[in-house]
Amino acid sequence: MEFGPIFRSLLRNRARVILIVAEVALTLAIVANCLSLIMDTRTKLARESGFDEEHIAVIHTNPFDDHLRQQTVLDQLVDQDRRTLRALPGVRAVSNTSLRPWQRSGNITSVRIPGTHDEPVSTQVCSADPGVFETLGIAITEGRGFTEAEYDHGADAPPTEVLPVVVSRALANRFYPSGGAVGKQIGDADESQRYLIVGIVDRFYNPFGGSGNDERIIFMPARSVGFDRGAQYLVRTAGDPARLLPQIEKALLGVEKGRFVRTRTMVEDRTEFHGRDRILVASLNTVMALLVLVTALGIVGLTSFSVSERRRQIGTRRALGADRAAIVRHFLLENWMVTSFGILLGAGLAYALNFGIVTWVAGARLSPAVVAAGAVGLWIIGVGAALGPALRGAQVPPAIATRNV
Amino acid sequence: MLLYNARLAWKSIRRNPVLSFLIVLGIALGVGVSTTFITAYHVLARDPVPGKSESLYYVRMNSWGVADDPFLRTPPPLITYRDALELLKSPVPVRSTASFQSHDTVFPEGGARPFGQDLRLATADLFPMFAAPFRYGGPWSREADTRPESVAVISSALNDRLFGGANSVGRTIRLGNHPVRVVGVLGAWRPRVRAFALFGSPLDAPEPIFLPLALAGPMELKPHEFQMSWRTPQPGEEKLPYASQLMLDEVLFVSFWAELTDARQAETYRHYVDAYVSEQKKLGRFPHPLNNRVTPMLDLMDELKVVPPQTKALAAISLLFLVVAALNLIGLFLGKFLARAATVGVRRALGASRRTIFVQHLVECELMGLAGGLCGVLLALLGLAVLNHVYGDGPQGVPFFRLDLLMVLAAVGLSLLAGAIAGVYPAWRICSVPPARHLKTQ
Repeated sequence: MEFGPIFRSLLRNRARVILIVAEVALTLAIVANCLSLIMDTRTKLARESGFDEEHIAVIHTNPFDDHLRQQTVLDQLVDQDRRTLRALPGVRAVSNTSLRPWQRSGNITSVRIPGTHDEPVSTQVCSADPGVFETLGIAITEGRGFTEAEYDHGADAPPTEVLPVVVSRALANRFYPSGGAVGKQIGDADESQRYLIVGIVDRFYNPFGGSGNDERIIFMPARSVGFDRGAQYLVRTAGDPARLLPQIEKALLGVEKGRFVRTRTMVEDRTEFHGRDRILVASLNTVMALLVLVTALGIVGLTSFSVSERRRQIGTRRALGADRAAIVRHFLLENWMVTSFGILLGAGLAYALNFGIVTWVAGARLSPAVVAAGAVGLWIIGVGAALGPALRGAQVPPAIATRNV
Repeated sequence: MLLYNARLAWKSIRRNPVLSFLIVLGIALGVGVSTTFITAYHVLARDPVPGKSESLYYVRMNSWGVADDPFLRTPPPLITYRDALELLKSPVPVRSTASFQSHDTVFPEGGARPFGQDLRLATADLFPMFAAPFRYGGPWSREADTRPESVAVISSALNDRLFGGANSVGRTIRLGNHPVRVVGVLGAWRPRVRAFALFGSPLDAPEPIFLPLALAGPMELKPHEFQMSWRTPQPGEEKLPYASQLMLDEVLFVSFWAELTDARQAETYRHYVDAYVSEQKKLGRFPHPLNNRVTPMLDLMDELKVVPPQTKALAAISLLFLVVAALNLIGLFLGKFLARAATVGVRRALGASRRTIFVQHLVECELMGLAGGLCGVLLALLGLAVLNHVYGDGPQGVPFFRLDLLMVLAAVGLSLLAGAIAGVYPAWRICSVPPARHLKTQ
């Protein structure tokens, strides 16, 4: 191969070489970091809650009428609402709960094994009725759920009483890594309340209250309603929950019109939760695509320039016996050498940029696989961009060499 | 002469439309992308209260009760209602305000269906401290804070909805069971960052209703946002009137800001807060060692990462994009100019000086730079429109991200600069072509 002559000819065209090398290097540095940020965010976006989200409607009711200021009236209203919603055609299950999936809202508490002085573990906690597990579509894999009696009694239970609770596997394992959590007690860090674990659910993920709490939850049997905070219902439907929302609103206002009813689907809540991250991914994708486009344009431009500058040289080589393939090979090889040099420099630059981003902004460390993927992509794009001008160069007739001497 | 050069440039642009299009596209993309993301960053990171933020300080005190949770060793982000009332009495700051978000029902006149509204309980100083503009009336008086009077400041959107946009100062709104008198209607106020509520949802719009803080008790307004508590209420406490519960509770939900003129006053104020906590320790509260913070606003915004860090990364990446676009431009200009070395050779032989050739080519670069810059501004408008579409508009249809004049000028300036920098080397290369070499090959 003609490495030697090509390399020497590159040395005579330093401006062009420097431009392509710098462009390729910067592009690789940016692309690798964009890819890394995108992958990072996508993992976050892909986390599944474990709930049957596509079939759940989220209903918030907020009382405003004076007669609803009495807690007993509100408690009865919850029972009535649950019956009414359950009776609607197309409804599979209903739950009154304070768990607010994907809503950046909820309650956090600290618990530990009673009597110990271990570091307390923080966890999400929510009130719920017995229907919550069926409504969310998460199975109790060990132990049991709540009974209606426990739910009915829960809110009025004195703090001295031990509340039966269902917890997520992640929380149970935190205290009892070798299993056997069912039947054991945990308690609030300030000893104000004790819980008896009666059941465990395997699947639970709700990003709230810091990443450590995402998979930890305590379900307490109790009504969740108040004049100021209203009540939330989760409704699991057989078909698309969006279609049922108007009927749900009408039914609830039929029961009691002295309140506001806000209906949404859990998918809407999740989409909104992910909103910023989706924008980020879309923006990064756009920047990356445009950048690659600009770089490819640059390579096309510079290679065409180099071809048109060397028409006579090409003609001479052709006249001396080089075939068209040799000419194409020359330009591709030349381009490949320059691009490779740019990629080498770019890999270093990518790590430097990543170091800057991790130190001053945020994000994950760059993995070599991402840099490698970016490098391979750029190689293909670089050679592809040079192909057009190279083919055009090969069309230069050998006669051109004789014409102008 | 400039006109002549411009005409030459135009002819040259037309002679090679594809290459010219690529050049303009390259500049447009570079300028468009960087302007979009730098504007997004600029909008979010901009000083939320220009000219005042240096003098605004946020107060935190470690009032946690139970001792052995590691989380409790740092001061909580909010303070209790009772501590807020005490701190408000301090003579040190020029102004100070304690505030929290609540929620209530507005009952319009004439029996229309009521609607829920977020509201903020605050003291009168909040308005001047955070530079709230008024359309009608003004803040309530400091006396209204202490008495307290049933008065309100409402947003212009709510004023439009309830009073058809008329001057409603002196009129009454029914909130829950309580009538409140309007004393002020805010003007268009959509700070990018709701600086008085940095804990919670700082990027939301200010609440549509503001009430004196001391109305919380009598109107039974409960915190509606983030709140924390470490103390379980004693039996019977929940039967007490809400106003008394507020004074007993160790629930943290109040944001406290003090306006301090300089670092010395800030130091005095820190001592004041420490002295207050030491005083409270004698009453059995604040069991932890002294650990209070009086933080300047901009430092707090950094600490809380109010500007999403990814926005910063995107702005940096898009700047690098501009660099790549400029490099690309040099290459394209080089190719374009040297391709007509022969013509230049003839012109040089006919007497054109190097300087003439140089200026002619630089003018061409600038012209294309300008065209690319203008297209880039259009692209940025498109990009920001997309961002606005996905982020949602502010109230009164004010888009969240807007290109201000400064950014437009910066974009055009940037493209001229890119055209000049990218043009100098190719223009120099072409004007130093020796005429003889090209004449020979004609």
